[in-house]
Amino acid sequence: MKPFTFSNRVLGAAVGVLAVVYLYLAFTLEEFTAVSVPVQPATLPKWLGAVLLVLAAVLFFQKQEDTGEQAGSDGDGDEASKTGGGAPARPAAARPALGRLADPRHELALFAASIGLYIALLEPLGFLISTTAYIAATTWYLGYRRHWANALVAVGVSAVLYFAMSDFLRVALPTGPLPF
Amino acid sequence: MFRARPVAVAAALASLALAATACGTGGGQQEDGGPWKPDRPIELIAPAATGGGWDTLARTSGRVLEEGGLVDEPVQVVNKPGGGGSIGWAYVAQTPDTPTRLFVTSPPISLVPLMGGSTYDHEDFTPIARLATEYMVYLVPKDSPIESWGDMVDRLEEDPRQVSIAGGSSPGSMDHVALAGAVEAAGIDPTAINYVPFDGGGEAMTQAVGGHVDAVVTGASEAAGLVESGDLRPLAVSGAERASTLPDTPTLQEEGVDFTYDIWRGVMGPPDMTDEQVAYYEDLFTDMTEEESWKKQTKALGWTDSYMGSEEFGGFLDQSSTDSAEILMKIGLIEDEEGR
Amino acid sequence: METLQQMGAGFGVAFTPENLLFVFIGVLAGTVIGILPGLGPMSAIALMIPIAFGMDPTTAIIMLAGVYYGAIFGGSTSSILLNAPGVAGTVATSFDGYPMARKGAAGKALAIAAIASFTGGTIGVVLLMLIAPALSSFAVSFGPADYFALMVLGLTAVVTLGGRNITKGLIAAVVGVMVSLVGIDSQTATLRFTFGMPELYEGVKFLIVALGLFALAEVFSMLARRGAGGADGAMTSLRLNRRDLGRIAGPTGRGSILGFFTGVLPGAGATVASFLSYSMEKRIAKDGDTFGSGNPKGVAAPEAGNNAAAVGSFVPMLTLGVPGSGTTAILLGALLVLGVTPGPMMLSDRPEMFWGLVASMYVGNIVLLVLNLPLIPLFAKVLKTPRAVLIPLVVVFCVVGVYGLSFSVFDLWLLLGFGVVGYLMRQNGFPAAPMILGLILGSMMERSMRQALQISYGDWTTFVTSPYSAALLGLTAIVLVWPLVKRLRSGPKAPAAGASPDGAQKEEDTASTP
Repeated sequence: MKPFTFSNRVLGAAVGVLAVVYLYLAFTLEEFTAVSVPVQPATLPKWLGAVLLVLAAVLFFQKQEDTGEQAGSDGDGDEASKTGGGAPARPAAARPALGRLADPRHELALFAASIGLYIALLEPLGFLISTTAYIAATTWYLGYRRHWANALVAVGVSAVLYFAMSDFLRVALPTGPLPF
Repeated sequence: MFRARPVAVAAALASLALAATACGTGGGQQEDGGPWKPDRPIELIAPAATGGGWDTLARTSGRVLEEGGLVDEPVQVVNKPGGGGSIGWAYVAQTPDTPTRLFVTSPPISLVPLMGGSTYDHEDFTPIARLATEYMVYLVPKDSPIESWGDMVDRLEEDPRQVSIAGGSSPGSMDHVALAGAVEAAGIDPTAINYVPFDGGGEAMTQAVGGHVDAVVTGASEAAGLVESGDLRPLAVSGAERASTLPDTPTLQEEGVDFTYDIWRGVMGPPDMTDEQVAYYEDLFTDMTEEESWKKQTKALGWTDSYMGSEEFGGFLDQSSTDSAEILMKIGLIEDEEGR
Repeated sequence: METLQQMGAGFGVAFTPENLLFVFIGVLAGTVIGILPGLGPMSAIALMIPIAFGMDPTTAIIMLAGVYYGAIFGGSTSSILLNAPGVAGTVATSFDGYPMARKGAAGKALAIAAIASFTGGTIGVVLLMLIAPALSSFAVSFGPADYFALMVLGLTAVVTLGGRNITKGLIAAVVGVMVSLVGIDSQTATLRFTFGMPELYEGVKFLIVALGLFALAEVFSMLARRGAGGADGAMTSLRLNRRDLGRIAGPTGRGSILGFFTGVLPGAGATVASFLSYSMEKRIAKDGDTFGSGNPKGVAAPEAGNNAAAVGSFVPMLTLGVPGSGTTAILLGALLVLGVTPGPMMLSDRPEMFWGLVASMYVGNIVLLVLNLPLIPLFAKVLKTPRAVLIPLVVVFCVVGVYGLSFSVFDLWLLLGFGVVGYLMRQNGFPAAPMILGLILGSMMERSMRQALQISYGDWTTFVTSPYSAALLGLTAIVLVWPLVKRLRSGPKAPAAGASPDGAQKEEDTASTP
């Protein structure tokens, strides 16, 4: 039900590893001796690493809370499905589902990869081409059927953003092979 | 258009896109024998975010060049912030064959590489022109017992702990070097002074006005307002002459200290520029500094005209780099003249 | 009486047709630029300078000031609608604004933001008018030790923002502080945790983290839920009834005053102000535990705070000629180019400019309200956009924002990285807000602590000999101990995830970090 959710054991261990690596890096920071300073650049990092290690241990041994209890202060993924405005639960095709893959984990990985591709192509292809292509492709993939509207939005949004930034505000976005 | 320039393909991804852009508006060099002229927009890189000192210099220059009709091609200001300038410098250094890509610069071009923050230093670029300069000023709060520069030196001699001195940037940067160099020339061990770095000259001056630190070192024009109101009292300026914004403040030399420090500002270009290209830009920037609007704006910013052509500027850069290295060595921030 | 007279003259300046027009243009441009994620007031002003150039200096400053508070206002719109804070100062607004929008109350949230902003801005202007000259001495009276104490007090909000599992909240906060330390250490010029990458020398930009953790992570979970659970259901009206107004009156008023004084302090600024007022309200509200799930008070408090702070940050600039924030630094630079030296002499040398500016801020705030209230239903429609279209658009918005900020593809990879981290965090119950708080306050806390100790030559008593610092640290102790006392008095009730042991530990951590 919840992709990428792990037990406190796993999370504690992961945070612990992060703390150890960070502590190692903190201890490799050179002492600053040229001018006398009361607090070394490595001092706070060492303390932070140590505190994080302790917190990781606490988390590791903490008993698992109910998953339902996890609603964080800034809107948790699952809570929303309960507040979904009276619509029937997920399985029914009450509204067009996003995406095409059965496993949400694959879907998320693919989505992250698509953003990566967009970022990688932003400068070589220029803002206009890459953004238009990205919007059009993603919208189509996610299952939007009105292709003309899609094309219009893709071209329109990229063009408006591009010309507003580069001509009006004089912020140079990558142009790519296009002459403007 | 990529095909036409295999060099660009080899370059970093970042430069690739813009090199290709440039291609969109034409090739690099003029084929006929006449004097060299740029045939595509001139890119003026500010190696910092919008709004900083370099950005102001780049945008002011770009505006004066365009409004004065001095250039046929537009001047585009491009911000390449990051790494205290090193991102922008690397960007320019990696495109030696793009003579329309210049950058605005000031003392950090020597200091940052010395402190180990950049693999490129001023020798990796072509000096084009020094445009303007400004001086540092050493100030104390209005009710400070410190009477004069000499008085401060005496107190420092007695016990450097007595005087905490604020600056707007980290050790090894302009404010610190201007302070350490001056006290060193006055015969005090620069490693013993209590320099407290703040985030910008404004914050440093506020701390001095509030009496949290005993003195402050910052750019002369930045301090002009608080001097005029009497909140801060200037002890000395670091220039060879008195600053126009602070005519009553003696120079360090008048106070018997043989030390000057310039916050100079200039323009440099990529490596491997031809003599014709350098000559073209030298003329261009000479014309710019003679424009009325340039004079008006630099005066408002508190900058003094101090034009130098390419060759003279190059020599000046070598000299000021050596001087800075020496000071940084004496403070103990670097081990030898190659930096750390 | 004199003030009133001068204020009258100021309105005379502000009400010339030209100045009215440029207030309008400035506010409009600021709002639009502010809505774009990433482009905050700083960029907005820098980008408007060419337009201001050649104008009469008074008109120019009136317009640029309009851009400033317009941008902060605009930022709240994208925070509420897309969870994509357009401006650092509006991150806290998204904590409750976005949940409100998802519950179908987007219009209401936007209206509350507009009214709170207006009130915050107006109270700020009144305070500016009445006590600006006196305030300059307050601004300079804060030394490094006092800033340190203020940051420590701010960090205690981790306990309130931490969500149900306080351990996870603290982990997020510690990691946030860790991220804030990346880059060149300002006190010693040492490189820390940069892995030799020049892109990291100047640190990790706050907005990249905020956009990743909030906007991108939200897009990821939207996709994982297959688009279910959006706000495309019933949309409540934007009309606020008397009860709503009554509820937000307190938070708005307190947020305005706290925000203004925070803004006056050079270096603290709108972001810190919004976080301080948010966590203060969460602490004192009777329904404090509903903060974070769409409580209108949680929108009103930070919005009043950040707008009042924006006005407050004009105090050091106008009275001392010293920028109180990055944004006013740019404004100051622009004024210098226009031939005006703001500073202590401005009030006596150019009163018409000072009072014209103050008066124009009243006008500007009204323009903002008038401009934006009718647009709210339109903005709220954004949420009716089909998810399949909205998702790529949010991604593009974030990319444009980050790229426009730094022109660096490296930062875009960072954005994606923080998006993934943010998604994993929320799937596993780690709250993002404490991480953001640690990121904002962490490096400032470290810096002021070290400055204070540098000045005192390592003498720790400097933190208690300064009255402000001592008072703020005392308040910190009370804030941390109070929940304990309250719990002891009401008897053992809440299970496992207790705030007290970890809270005490946190206190130890911040107080004894040498």
